Amino acid sequence: MPKTYEEINERIRARKAVVITAEEMVDLVAEKGAAAAAREIDVVTTATFGPMCSSSALLNVGHTKPRMKIQKAWLNRVPASCGLAAVDVMVGATSLPEDDLLNKVHPGSFPYGGGHVIQDLVSGKEVEFVAEGYGTDCYPRRRIEAALSLKTVSSATLLNPRNCYQNYNVAVNMHSDLPQYTYLGILHPGMANANFCSAGQLSPLLKDPYYRTIGIGTRIFLGGGTGYVFYQGTQHNPDAERGDNGVPVEGAGTLAVVGDLRGMSRDFLRGVSIRGYGVSLAVGIGVAVPILDEGLAASTGVGEKDLFAPVYDYSKEYQSMGRPLCRVSYAELRSGSIAVGGRKVRTASLSSYAKAREIAGILKEEISSGRFLVTRPSAPLPGSRAACGS
Amino acid sequence: MQEMIQKSVIFHFPPELYDKPVISGLIRNCEVEVNILEAYISPQQAGHMFAILQGEEGRIDDALRYMEGMGVSMVLPVRNLVWDETKCVHCGACVGQCRPRAFRMESSRVVFDSARCVACNLCIPSCSYGAIESISSHLKRKGEI
Repeated sequence: MPKTYEEINERIRARKAVVITAEEMVDLVAEKGAAAAAREIDVVTTATFGPMCSSSALLNVGHTKPRMKIQKAWLNRVPASCGLAAVDVMVGATSLPEDDLLNKVHPGSFPYGGGHVIQDLVSGKEVEFVAEGYGTDCYPRRRIEAALSLKTVSSATLLNPRNCYQNYNVAVNMHSDLPQYTYLGILHPGMANANFCSAGQLSPLLKDPYYRTIGIGTRIFLGGGTGYVFYQGTQHNPDAERGDNGVPVEGAGTLAVVGDLRGMSRDFLRGVSIRGYGVSLAVGIGVAVPILDEGLAASTGVGEKDLFAPVYDYSKEYQSMGRPLCRVSYAELRSGSIAVGGRKVRTASLSSYAKAREIAGILKEEISSGRFLVTRPSAPLPGSRAACGS
Repeated sequence: MQEMIQKSVIFHFPPELYDKPVISGLIRNCEVEVNILEAYISPQQAGHMFAILQGEEGRIDDALRYMEGMGVSMVLPVRNLVWDETKCVHCGACVGQCRPRAFRMESSRVVFDSARCVACNLCIPSCSYGAIESISSHLKRKGEI
């Protein structure tokens, strides 16, 4: 018997909802089957924590006296984007100081950038704010230097155009004699190691592969606070290749998410310095999947032996948009080694499963105690198979 | 007779001690051997030293207490690395770099077994969170304070 969002929310409000994490759901579905799990479980919590480059902080820094129309701005020497209204500035996670050595001495260390500015702000630290304007009759001021923090700004919004990739590549270095310094970490020659980046069986979009419950307006756990899905993320591709279980076997869907930076925490928003590549922001996201029917029980219950990722040679095929070398399961990736072309390759994750597990647990507790309700999307994402009226 | 052990340690000497012969006192009073691998004095005259102490277990404990009594603060590092667990998110990027499996995953969390570390330092650049530092850069960063 299918359930509705309203019925599940009534149970959450009455603190009678049965909520488990996606990790627990995998065991339950394996033990009792999807039909029984659908009857028993109301909500499954999913989560992920990893570097997500398409992230930013949108700050309204407040008007100065006299007023100023900001044309260029820096936070702790990291350039912000200023192509918005007079005092709206946006610092992107991958923005780097103009005097950073970049890769001039390869591989660059990229000690500080936009992701670290966001981490400092959310940690309650003051950052050095410098802005320049050209002066207008209504906005005459031309320069300001001030200390800025989440207390001084009018608003601070975490605004991430692409987070939460549904699936991701596994990277190896097969062809270069030199280590490859990539956004998927350091890859040693001769396929000495393989890096992957997904929360696997906890990852939100792998558990609702056809975006049946995750859509525009979905309330989420974002960076330790509350956020919302506001649109499909950039590069959202629901037409990616899928396995027999309907789950994409390569990068596919993405989410655009937003939330108030005030109320978020350094525990779930961390600046990262990726050697030889640049800076980024590691973001923690949790999404609650209401178990409306058996189909959602089945998809949230898919385990890592049935979730697959493509292996790419980042020293060759990946650069020229070529084909993957093979596909491997997340169970193999998690085991510590995978087989590529008959060779055993050691694996490591760049996504923190421990953090994802922590977030899924927090969300489970929030829902169980009646503080977090599930959301019926106000509109579906492209490629959604949401049932009308559910 | 007690078992002989080794303990690696970083000492931070406050500026007041910069002209005092602390280490010779340590050797005479505590009967431990001190192998100094790295040491320098910062422009603020604070001293920093990475050393390995060798001796009977009880003597090593005495030695650390003696240094504490002299006003020296210390960090007991993990071999030649300082792994800051408050910065670690337990992703496991270091695990893929660590051939001798000093860094490894246990129940989805990173653990470090210093006895397996061969001081190759390959893990350091692999950590995007700055949670792993070599002793020398740890000393230099402390010296800049």
